[in-house]
Amino acid sequence: MSSADSALPVPVGRPRTRASRRDLWRFLAKRLVAGAFLCVGITLVSFVLTQLVPGDPAAANLGNRAVEDPAAVAAFRAQYGLDKPLPVQYAVYLGKLVRGDLGESQQSHRTVKADLAEYIPATFELALFAIVLSLLVGVTLGVVAAVFRDRWPDQVLRVVSLAGVSMPTFWIALLAFFVFFYKLGWLPGGGRLGPALTPPPRTTGMFTVDAALAGQWGVLGSALEHLVLPGLVLATYTVGMLLRFTRASMLEILGNDYVRAARAKGLPERVVVVRHVLRPALISIITVAGLAFGSLLSGTVLVETIYSWPGLGQYAYTSAKNLDLPAIMGVSVVVAAVYIAINLLVDLLYGVIDPRIRLS
Amino acid sequence: MRKRSFVVGSASLVALMALAACGGGSSAGTPASGTGSAAAPANQTLVVDTTFNLKTVDPGRMFETTGLLIDRALYSTLLTFTGGDVKKPVPDLAESYTASPDGTTYTFKLRSDAVFSDGTPVTSADVVFSLNRVKAIAGNPSFLMAGITVTAPDASTVVLTSEKPNPSIPFIVPNPALGILNSTAVKASGGTDAEGADKNDKAETALNTASQGSGPYTLSSFSTTTQVVLEANAKYWGTKPAYSKVVLRNVAANVQKLNVTKGESQIALDLSPTQAEGMKDVQVVNGASPNVFFLFTNNDPKISATTANKDFQEAVRYGIDYDGLVALAGTGSTQAAGVIPTMFLGSLPAGSGVKRDVARAKAALARSGISNPTVDIGYPSDFASNGIAFGDLAARVQANLKEVGITVNLKGSSVQTALAEYRDGKEQMGLWFWGPDYPDPGDYLVFLPDQLVGKRAGYVKGANPALEALGEKAATTVDDAERVKLYEQIQTELNTSSPFMPLLQPAQIVVAGQSVKNVQSNAVWLATLSELG
Repeated sequence: MSSADSALPVPVGRPRTRASRRDLWRFLAKRLVAGAFLCVGITLVSFVLTQLVPGDPAAANLGNRAVEDPAAVAAFRAQYGLDKPLPVQYAVYLGKLVRGDLGESQQSHRTVKADLAEYIPATFELALFAIVLSLLVGVTLGVVAAVFRDRWPDQVLRVVSLAGVSMPTFWIALLAFFVFFYKLGWLPGGGRLGPALTPPPRTTGMFTVDAALAGQWGVLGSALEHLVLPGLVLATYTVGMLLRFTRASMLEILGNDYVRAARAKGLPERVVVVRHVLRPALISIITVAGLAFGSLLSGTVLVETIYSWPGLGQYAYTSAKNLDLPAIMGVSVVVAAVYIAINLLVDLLYGVIDPRIRLS
Repeated sequence: MRKRSFVVGSASLVALMALAACGGGSSAGTPASGTGSAAAPANQTLVVDTTFNLKTVDPGRMFETTGLLIDRALYSTLLTFTGGDVKKPVPDLAESYTASPDGTTYTFKLRSDAVFSDGTPVTSADVVFSLNRVKAIAGNPSFLMAGITVTAPDASTVVLTSEKPNPSIPFIVPNPALGILNSTAVKASGGTDAEGADKNDKAETALNTASQGSGPYTLSSFSTTTQVVLEANAKYWGTKPAYSKVVLRNVAANVQKLNVTKGESQIALDLSPTQAEGMKDVQVVNGASPNVFFLFTNNDPKISATTANKDFQEAVRYGIDYDGLVALAGTGSTQAAGVIPTMFLGSLPAGSGVKRDVARAKAALARSGISNPTVDIGYPSDFASNGIAFGDLAARVQANLKEVGITVNLKGSSVQTALAEYRDGKEQMGLWFWGPDYPDPGDYLVFLPDQLVGKRAGYVKGANPALEALGEKAATTVDDAERVKLYEQIQTELNTSSPFMPLLQPAQIVVAGQSVKNVQSNAVWLATLSELG
């Protein structure tokens, strides 16, 4: 760091003290307790809403003949606890939830926990790919647009970002599928792996990571190849959004006196832009990126359907369609937990980016 | 430093994507892949794309379309069907069978060389266990065994005894839900056929992990939403399947079309006639679907005095443009002459169905004394079968009846909501289809008064005593020639006086790459995977 640079009023964090660490832990504990209550609240809302939907889970899950057979209906109701009064059903669910038991899916006939353990890593892998790509491309292009404000790169990028946020994702998904798989044959059409390949030994459930850990490079190549197209499609929207937010935040900061001062002191433009403009702009960028990541994790039903990607979105959609109450509740809890965790992470990152925000 | 990391990160990601994109197209390079016209070598992977309707492959609990397709490959049954012929059950585990003259007792002789995938022989005890388990679990397929008891006089003989004469039994036992399990292995996994199996049988998870059958394939991996992988059963006692591995993938219909054209898959099972039209370099097998779409007007005056009126029912029957509906359903679809589809015993001859007669419909409406009738029609608006959206059909019915002077309000709702209304018999008019539980006309007695579908249309006991008597006689008649006559009479009567209007029988399209041989559409389990060459 040059002497001119160090003279600027960039906020510097105070050394961590035992007291500040205690405050941090207290903050985390409070947020986690509030998050747990929020999750319980979500289960209540989901439970009540599911009960309001006209339709009977037994009728939805039993066949045409079995639904007319009182023994089959009784067996189904008993198996899923539907023969008990609603408050008891909810209390039983909560009791199990505390023990980490999310119940059994009426559709897959497996525990919801096992289902979620299968689908969450698939969605996480896809969402992570999309958000990392979006951050790299969206933020970079946003910086470029801000720096070249009202000149041709900015004008081109504004059109690009507008297109990204305006085009429906399912349409881009279909178009990309048609062009890159069907017409050009550059990328595979759907699924997570080539049909002749066996998934790698499970460690994380993310095929790319597991294949790399197992040293199965052919599987890794196929997993990456299958990730590219749906990942790019999902990234289209978030790139557009991050580009716009980055540009707007940067422009707001570029007009500040301390930026003019930095330039007046002769700092290279790169240093001004990256260290004194982009860093404070990251606060709003991270907020948006966090929300976008949560959204990607909690449901990308259409993209998952078009690309036969066995993720949480497809699971949630199928469960809702079939009134699979335990699965719906399980997905709701997971989605709530995802948003709580991401918001918490974003709040913590604020402190990392801007020490003024840290707890005293 | 941070900037460098950013740049390195970006470069790595781009490189990774480039590596993936240029990675040789591993999925397109799988042994079974290639262009639609390329020859797929034997003993390789067959990729089948279908839209999953799958909950389990445990035969005792399975009764969904995709489950039937898979279990047919995993489990042998006493009798079976080959190719697309479902009129004639042929031996599978039973080398022969005899029926008692009164149609209550069926004796099956088991073949001696059949073994399970672990090499243990298939015995009559396994058959008794498997069939009793289906019954005791009280799951979706349990009705198949209703009123039937199973005994085993010796190790190679099985006797099925029915409370009433039951000529449908040879057509029921080929159902993959009645696949024969290795009883020792299933019991070891917590399976039971004893009373209380609905609570005590714990074998489903094990059966969804590893199959315990004697069919041409074994289960390699199972997911209800992604894909199911089958491997050829090395111990299979019959003709070995041509493909050593079958991958069934859950894929939306429009994507199936692109996949099969591109050679990414070899079979697509869910294309509509419109989607299959004009496809090149692939085989399009346009088989008839056994699903019969029908319309009903509720016969219960408490639900609607209008729809219960016999003259109103006649007005609807003759007001519908059947040819227009068939055209809407696409190439290969036909008008349903009666409720029994064309490929089953007892179906009415093609072309003998009701023809549109607007003048007759208007006259009937005038006779009814109901002026400007307005009725609601219920249907699943978010559901399509054989590529036919119920919403489209309902709109066409609405337009047809408008010409007669009947106003129809479209009351489409989600399939679960609509299904609840339909099953509770609350719909004034309903638009649904009936898919066979087993390929025998006995399965269509459900349309008679006081039967399963009849009750849903308010067609209750005493509504047509002569028809009810015919139904009872048909249910217990053993002689096929006599059965054909009876079922024809029943359908003719239904077409004359019942609240049901059979509309159409759609096409069932199977699209396959040119390399796949012996592609046939099967009315019960879509296609026989082990017969594909």
